[in-house]
Amino acid sequence: MRERLASVAKLFIGIWLGGVVVAMFLLVPQYEGLGNAGRIIIMHVPTAWVCVLAFTISAIYSALYLWKNKPEFDNRALAAAENGFLFTILATVTGMIFSQVVWGIFWNWDPRQTSIFVLLLIYAALFALRSAIEDLERRRRLSAVYSLFAFVTVPFLIFIAPRMAESTLHPNCAFIEGSECEGIELAVGKIGLLGDRKVQLLGLSQDGDVVTAEVKVSEPGLTSEAILHPTWSASEGHQIVSPEFPNLRYRLTIMSADMASQSAKLNIMAPGTGILDNRITLYTFLAGIFGFTALFIWMFRVRSKLLDIQEDLQQREGAFA
Amino acid sequence: MTPQAAPNELPLRSLLLAAWAVFMKDLRSELRSRYAINAILLFAVSTAVAVSLGVGFIGLRREGDWINIQSSLLWIALLFAALNGLARSFVQEEETRTGLALRLAAPSHAIYLGKLCFNLALLAILDLVTCLFFMMFIRLQIANPSLFIALLVMGSVALACTTTILAAIIAKASLKSALFAVLSFPLLVPLLVIAIQGTALAIEGATWSEGFSYLQSLIGFAVAMFVASLLLFRFVWES
Repeated sequence: MRERLASVAKLFIGIWLGGVVVAMFLLVPQYEGLGNAGRIIIMHVPTAWVCVLAFTISAIYSALYLWKNKPEFDNRALAAAENGFLFTILATVTGMIFSQVVWGIFWNWDPRQTSIFVLLLIYAALFALRSAIEDLERRRRLSAVYSLFAFVTVPFLIFIAPRMAESTLHPNCAFIEGSECEGIELAVGKIGLLGDRKVQLLGLSQDGDVVTAEVKVSEPGLTSEAILHPTWSASEGHQIVSPEFPNLRYRLTIMSADMASQSAKLNIMAPGTGILDNRITLYTFLAGIFGFTALFIWMFRVRSKLLDIQEDLQQREGAFA
Repeated sequence: MTPQAAPNELPLRSLLLAAWAVFMKDLRSELRSRYAINAILLFAVSTAVAVSLGVGFIGLRREGDWINIQSSLLWIALLFAALNGLARSFVQEEETRTGLALRLAAPSHAIYLGKLCFNLALLAILDLVTCLFFMMFIRLQIANPSLFIALLVMGSVALACTTTILAAIIAKASLKSALFAVLSFPLLVPLLVIAIQGTALAIEGATWSEGFSYLQSLIGFAVAMFVASLLLFRFVWES
């Protein structure tokens, strides 16, 4: 009965993911300006979510192994780490492709890029450690300790990382209608993202009370660029002129500017941009998250079972010998 | 000590005494061989000299990104010297096969604390020498010395808290020294980021209130690593 259920579930995941892929290419409307590159987001976000899930599961099973000392738990921790590693690579690569197509750079040391880079390093270190210890029991114990120890540093990476970079290319305001954008703080020369537009602060100049920013705005896909000059009143602390983005209803505005540190907080003034307004896009997105999570769980179960069997065989060989 | 307090106080007291004994033992054997200290100091000196030969007295340039570069170079020198020497105390136990005797002689917490103190002592010497050499060869000028020292000390404590348990792990693996760097680096990334940025502020002359959040993050990191190590060390040492 369980076997039949498992094979039905396997088929279901396959069909589901096939549906997600079809919807991703055929049903989801092309995102204005991004072209077909925008579709990769349907895969990128779920794989990134699975990375977090896998790392957590691996740490939980490592703790269970240290507590209960049962080899199965270590097999599960290893299976979660191996599959998590695959998904981490997928998330990194899809993100890099999108970044190159849309923003023109593969890598920007964005906080999320930093944390996923460190995650890849941790996995690499974990596998290196496992391969460097001969004794099975000892290998399990030490890698469980390392995996838990690494897990403790993750909150620091997530909470400390945002302050390492003034700019981030990950959208920091959702495209859902009614959501409020927080704007981005940019130092002169840095690039960041407002909505789907890449903005670069080229310079700040002050003339009396009026601070003028020179901002280069790039269309998604880098098809065209424009230089905008929003202005801001230093004494009253509010914007004066907020020019419109080329071909859009939205305006670029300065929320605050600091001449001493040569940085300004830019924001988009918009009634709501609405990429996820589109129901089909939203549902495909959620279906993608569900599908990839299910895929991970299935891969995780298969791999841990395989590791169990491998170990069983080794033990039997040992017994016969 | 009152008689009532004795049962509660004794375990901690004996633990600390045992940790002190482990620390003194390591110190004595280090003074005999001078392996870790030589490796660390040679590394620190050669980094400072190499930077000086390559880019000259960059400490005198105080505009733009130069301050960040100075602070990064300082922490690179400290990090790689530390990665060369901090694994020594555990690796030596395995190489000379004294680990078993140590396991019998002292509880695991005492061993962890003793080794941690030893690594802290090594790092204190390393910090002192590296900073002196950076001041001489690169003409590093520190505008807010007290903040600088506080960040350096806290950064070193966090570094020692993170790497001591990793040293115990790699002592039982093959390819020890390479593995130590591989295991340490990913976990040290948050620490390095905070330390480099905070130190740059201190070199530039930021006030205490500006640098305090960096110090707080370093303390938080060190405490988290210390507690995690204390909980997990038993599993490493007794395997």
